[in-house]
Amino acid sequence: MKLRAIKGIIIKDLKELRREKMALFWIFIFPLMWITLFGTMWGGHNPPISLDVGVVYTYTNESSAFTAYDVLRIMENVTLEGVHVFKIREFSKEESGINALKHGKIDSLIVFPSGFGRNVSTGRQAKIYIYFDRSDPQQYQIVRGTVMGFFSEMEKKMREKRIEIQLKYMEAYIPKEDNISPETIKEYLIASAEPLEVEEKEVSGKSPTPIQFYITSFIGIQFLFATMLTIGTGTLEEIEKGTLRRIAASPATAWDFLTGKMLSTFLIIMVSIFVGLGYAKLVFGETIVPSPLGWLIIFIASIFSMSLGLTIAMATRSIKSTTAVVNFVSMPLLFLAGIVIPESIVPSWARPIANYFALGRALKEFRLLEIYHRPVSEIMPGLVLISIETAVVFLTAIALYKWAIKRLEA
Amino acid sequence: MEHCPIYYGETMEAIEIKGLKKSYGKFLALKGINLEIYEREIFALLGPNGAGKTTLIRILAEGLGYDAGEIKVFGRRLSKETARFIGYVPQESISYDLLTVEENLKFYADLYDAPKKKIYELIDRFALPKKKKAKELSGGFKRRLNLAISLLYDPKILILDEPSIGLDVPSRRELWELIQEFKKEGKTILLATHYMEEAEALADRIAIMNEGKIIALGTAEELKALIGEESIIMVEGFLRGLKRLKSEFRLVEKEGSVRIHVKNPKESLPKIVETLVKSGSEIKTIKIEEPTLEDVFLKLTGRRLE
Ligand SMILES: Nc1ncnc2c1ncn2[C@@H]1O[C@H](COP(=O)(O)OP(=O)(O)O)[C@@H](O)[C@H]1O
Ligand SMILES: [Mg+2]
Repeated sequence: MKLRAIKGIIIKDLKELRREKMALFWIFIFPLMWITLFGTMWGGHNPPISLDVGVVYTYTNESSAFTAYDVLRIMENVTLEGVHVFKIREFSKEESGINALKHGKIDSLIVFPSGFGRNVSTGRQAKIYIYFDRSDPQQYQIVRGTVMGFFSEMEKKMREKRIEIQLKYMEAYIPKEDNISPETIKEYLIASAEPLEVEEKEVSGKSPTPIQFYITSFIGIQFLFATMLTIGTGTLEEIEKGTLRRIAASPATAWDFLTGKMLSTFLIIMVSIFVGLGYAKLVFGETIVPSPLGWLIIFIASIFSMSLGLTIAMATRSIKSTTAVVNFVSMPLLFLAGIVIPESIVPSWARPIANYFALGRALKEFRLLEIYHRPVSEIMPGLVLISIETAVVFLTAIALYKWAIKRLEA
Repeated sequence: MEHCPIYYGETMEAIEIKGLKKSYGKFLALKGINLEIYEREIFALLGPNGAGKTTLIRILAEGLGYDAGEIKVFGRRLSKETARFIGYVPQESISYDLLTVEENLKFYADLYDAPKKKIYELIDRFALPKKKKAKELSGGFKRRLNLAISLLYDPKILILDEPSIGLDVPSRRELWELIQEFKKEGKTILLATHYMEEAEALADRIAIMNEGKIIALGTAEELKALIGEESIIMVEGFLRGLKRLKSEFRLVEKEGSVRIHVKNPKESLPKIVETLVKSGSEIKTIKIEEPTLEDVFLKLTGRRLE
């Protein structure tokens, strides 16, 4: 092991890279473009929902205590994160409201039939018609959820109010001696109207943001492309040019060369990962700061990726084929190994790839650790698996490299 | 860690090769080479393409494996240890295109663990533009950079493969002067070439190689003496009927001229002129010339050198 020679190889590689515009683009700019693109498309916080709601109701002369008008005032006052959720537009006729809904001018149409106010005020059941547009399933889910949510909340409040009114009438008839207080009766009444009280709670305190997901995708992309290509084509270039033969003939050995090449590749990829993490912080105000275990996963994954790149290069023995094979293999893996899409939407037949292909698995464990903050014990089996795979591919790469060197000297 | 070679007598072998054989698969590239290269001489391997010159050199300088034979460098078996004695200037450029002259030299200095100050000495000596990227260098400067790289660790033996191939005439002359300077500084030089002018201009001794064998060895004078009684008739002009001459004489054709080997010029000259003229040639000049190494090669192999 000649340290000065290894240092020389690393410095030489870094200097060459600095002047190679295409390589710089693929290693540094392309992944940043990826984060930017996906980050702005799907990342960040969803803006608070605001819906345009059309309403149709009939003015009546009746002087009810509670009318459709009151419902609308309440709707108008509902806010979420300081934003009014419902924007009310009144329509005089049901047809014109439906028309507006069909043309996407409003998100939903609420029709209060005549007699709504009277029915509510007199303790009868009151009817409401709500129209939705189902052409966009996702939008439909959101609109329906929001509007129905409002009415179910509204219903609950009305129920309580009614029970209170009913109690007032009932109080006179409740026998005093039976120790039944009005509160107990109210409780029973509410419970019979609403036997279950469901309260929503969240499990994890910090919910992951899409930006964090795309940062990890970026790291995966670096391993699938830049890392493999840098070491693979870098080594082949030196074989083709004859410089590797020269290095092997110098006091430094072919092993010093490989050590230098791996270290320089590792350094380049680490710098690109740092740049990516910093860039996300700068542009989206969010990033991931990996824990030591997170860095260990990155380290093992980079060894795996370098070994795989070297294996492909030494097996094909041509720069063009190496580039083609890496692209051909990595492009589908971006999706099938769950690198750029969550595993949950990876087709089920491809799930094993995400689980057993070291880079897919490494990224999965990295996400569990750094985004979902799962306990270390949960990561361990995966870590063992990727370490074993890495060792196997590494030894394969070394064997093929040894063979290539032999051929140089034959 | 400079090893001082032991002297015995006046000359000592810098390189000694015995019975060297090398094959690429089934193809025998070197068929038993025996050679001694003395210290401080310029030794040329002269031979056509495919003769095996590069193969021989790569065995000496790059550790290329061989099948049989014995090689000694200053009396020691050729090995990674003796590699330090040998500087190798290959035919192809070994510099990295994107690195500057200085950066290339720094890289190789790191590889060979050579002192940093040597880098700047060599830049000055060869007048290399140190901030220029290797890919921006002319052919002559690229060759000089190759040369500088192999001199970084001050080897006692310098091996050059086709040093002037692809160079224009002035760059070639400059390179030849440099090679002669190295000799004056006490270096032993082994060069491979297929230009007889190069071998003749530089070498103290020349080995003529053909098809993996050394077919003649000696000084240029000694080699030319192999021609023996033969004379060379040189004819220039628009020449026809060379085919007919070929059946009777050995000859070397070049553009617009031919060198004809004859035993007895007085008898042959009229015959040659007659044949050429009858075939419709226009002869411009005709004279009897000194033999060249090309003629020697022709006599030995029946083939042309280039
Ligand atoms: N790596 C190789 N594999 C197979 N054949 C080779 C190889 N290198 C050279 N040869 C063959 O060996 C012969 C000698 O080649 P070489 O040593 O390059 O000759 P020279 O340098 O005199 O032109 C040629 O016929 C060439 O085709
Ligand atoms: Mg050659």
